[in-house]
Amino acid sequence: MKKFDVIVIGAGAIGTSVAYHLTKKGYKTALVEKGDIANGSSSHCDAVCLICDKQPGIDTAMGQASIDYYKELAKQFTFDFEYDPKGCLYVCETEPEYEAASEYMEKQRADGYALRMIDRDELCQMEPHIAKDLAGALYTPLSGAIAVSPYKVCFAFVEEGKKLGLEIFTYRNITKINLDEKTNAVVSIETKEDGIIQTDRIVNCAGAWAPEIGILTDLHIPISPRKGTNLVSEQTERLCNHKILEYGYMMSKFDNINFKRNVSSLVESQNVAFNLEYTRANNLLVGGNRLFRGFDIRTEIETLKAISERAIRFFPELENIKCIRTYSGVRPFVIDHLPIVSDVDTIPGYYIAAGHEGDGICFSPFTGKQVAQMIAGEETDFDISKLDFARFC
Amino acid sequence: MTRFDSDEMIVCRCEEITVGEIKEAIMQGARDVVGVKRRVRAGMGLCQGRTCEKLVQQILCQELKIAPAETGSTSPRPPVRPMTFGNLARGIVE
Repeated sequence: MKKFDVIVIGAGAIGTSVAYHLTKKGYKTALVEKGDIANGSSSHCDAVCLICDKQPGIDTAMGQASIDYYKELAKQFTFDFEYDPKGCLYVCETEPEYEAASEYMEKQRADGYALRMIDRDELCQMEPHIAKDLAGALYTPLSGAIAVSPYKVCFAFVEEGKKLGLEIFTYRNITKINLDEKTNAVVSIETKEDGIIQTDRIVNCAGAWAPEIGILTDLHIPISPRKGTNLVSEQTERLCNHKILEYGYMMSKFDNINFKRNVSSLVESQNVAFNLEYTRANNLLVGGNRLFRGFDIRTEIETLKAISERAIRFFPELENIKCIRTYSGVRPFVIDHLPIVSDVDTIPGYYIAAGHEGDGICFSPFTGKQVAQMIAGEETDFDISKLDFARFC
Repeated sequence: MTRFDSDEMIVCRCEEITVGEIKEAIMQGARDVVGVKRRVRAGMGLCQGRTCEKLVQQILCQELKIAPAETGSTSPRPPVRPMTFGNLARGIVE
């Protein structure tokens, strides 16, 4: 019978990183996945890791740590995951947005992050194709805004992990997680394909599907799928030089619920926040929005119209550039917008690392490292107590 | 069925992906059309796999000794053919 020190469930950006870091620490680790590597959210998202979409304080510090760690991994790994320091422009459509962005920038600067405001003229120099009537932008330099290929990150962790002894079990259906009758501790899992696999520890990294794994041990994990959509352009001359996002959306969502963008009812109803980036293959990724649609990831025509409309407002030349494909995926949503990175008090040997919503790619290396430290009984680099599962119990 | 013995033959014309590269993706664990696409970009170009999807399926059948139905296909999603963001925004079919 097969036996492992740890079994990691889910081979997305979180699970592959957790499995890699455990293997590196010397644990005999198996990665079990119901489909292929990067089959879920990690291949249906965009590619960017930012500090400027995080709250000042520990959130930004953790984001920066993960971004810094990506830089190290890009040097260490022979597998190329398309690490690309891009820099980011949060564009402000109006003066009130510019003022709000300035306040945010001041807070981040006080903590030592090199964010700065740029005015319209400089914005037009940095982005020659952008609309000429915007108020300005919040600029985050290369050190705080990078891109990676999300699914290649997963492949990289898997391939580098395999070199150290990580074992991969893709296309496996987990039917049972067995617990000790007396202590309630994890003793084994069962899959349709392999039968019983013994282990003392499991890490549930199944993202939006983590609740399905939770049910196997009567654990209610409060993560739900939240849909996001992106459009892919034909390969073009580089239309933008940075990752571009609109600041107004952040304001209307998080800072000031009374703030309303001057957008059409379609854009409003589809909950669209414009963002744009180029990929290494010179396609543009045009996004995006968030909607609750269960696990239905068919792209919706109204969403595609709304995203296109909003994108042309900021980059008018998109009018004549062709869209070749669209895709939607689910993000693992948690009500307080914080992931669950934690042990489970009631089940010794049960760990959860899931629920990162739109931050899974950004937090992938960081989360893997913290979980490996937690399982090894070491002090974690950051205080992750507020990510504890017990907050929902 | 065609035998794919020449590794140099280009299968995905848009992204210039060869038989050999697709075999390599299968060695890395790809079991279906989407798995191949994610590993080597076959089917990610302008035509979105219209030309190469059937060929990729046949290579999967040959290498993995599986039936065509098991090789899957990419998810059908709009647009059916490339269209400008302008027309997409206005809902106009070219």
